[in-house]
Amino acid sequence: MYAGKDSTATLQAVAEQLKVPLTIIARQAELNQALGQTEADDLRAMHLQATTALTLIDCYLLGLALAQGQTQLELEPVSLSSMLTSTAHDLYYLARQHGVELEVQVAGRYAPVMANRRGLKAALLSLGYDLISSNNTSGDNRYRHLTLAAHRTPHGLVAGMYGEYQDIEAHEWRTALKLCGQAGQPFTSLCAGSGAGLFVADIILRSMTTQLRVGRRQKEAGLAATFLPSQQLVFI
Amino acid sequence: MKRIVLIEPNSVLAKLYRQMLQKNGYDVVHVTTAQAGIDAVDAAKPHAVVLELQIPTHNGIEFLHEFRSYPEWNDIPVIVNTVITPERLQGLEESFTQDLAVGAILYKPKTSLDQLLLALKEQLP
Repeated sequence: MYAGKDSTATLQAVAEQLKVPLTIIARQAELNQALGQTEADDLRAMHLQATTALTLIDCYLLGLALAQGQTQLELEPVSLSSMLTSTAHDLYYLARQHGVELEVQVAGRYAPVMANRRGLKAALLSLGYDLISSNNTSGDNRYRHLTLAAHRTPHGLVAGMYGEYQDIEAHEWRTALKLCGQAGQPFTSLCAGSGAGLFVADIILRSMTTQLRVGRRQKEAGLAATFLPSQQLVFI
Repeated sequence: MKRIVLIEPNSVLAKLYRQMLQKNGYDVVHVTTAQAGIDAVDAAKPHAVVLELQIPTHNGIEFLHEFRSYPEWNDIPVIVNTVITPERLQGLEESFTQDLAVGAILYKPKTSLDQLLLALKEQLP
């Protein structure tokens, strides 16, 4: 669904999204100059925003290559538990910068699922960037909480990210997919920007025969994808 | 001390604006959503509002319509500082400046901290 014309729409969404970290870098440099100081923390903040922007570009390019059939992701057994933990580790500093507390919750021990390590990591990072960098709390000045979680369903293992987004509805996500690149803010209940990270994550996940859907878990809601268990290991 | 309500969804960017505004003698109340913005204006009675249009749940235009529906806030200047490109806002300028009494519309990626400060000073002489 993202190939051809839609790839351009996604590129537009990515370009919109990149404005924010690049604006932060520019304003941070300007502020440092005005204050006559370059603190180590500020440099780290600029580095983090630049890295975030570059990673989103990489994820987009991967998604584009997949959508256009230029590359394929081989499915392999992947442990969701270790993937979620590793993603939380990668997102830690960005989350801290944005006042978000990350938690990994994997209920039980699960067999590996069929996915692709590189693709899944790219999808989770893209998803995480958008959810972390968009505040969506009704009450401000409180530490937000984002859970990276996996749980079992009759259809397979579901992995995703969940937070206090109680008002998310599945039809909103479907509408947002149609508005990708066309609307400045296609998914108002989840993120403030263009949602590029969400769309890029979805593109990559589709290449692994799954897709992002609105999901709920305990008292939290978010976006998640369903993966099939690795049959090879199930028979052992 | 002049008080500003800053409605900005990105907390990192908000921190930078807050630092700059505080350095220049402004008191800043930062919120991330439209509803929190209405609550903050009600509680803080600011001298001006700086608004990003792309905010979660209810967008900035909805905020502006609600904000201007309260007569007692009609004199509070609003500066729109947004990532939405000017081309996308074409056709809305008249509604912004006349109907919603927006004092200035700034394109955030191209607006330096000094330019934002200048816009505020023009609105709050």
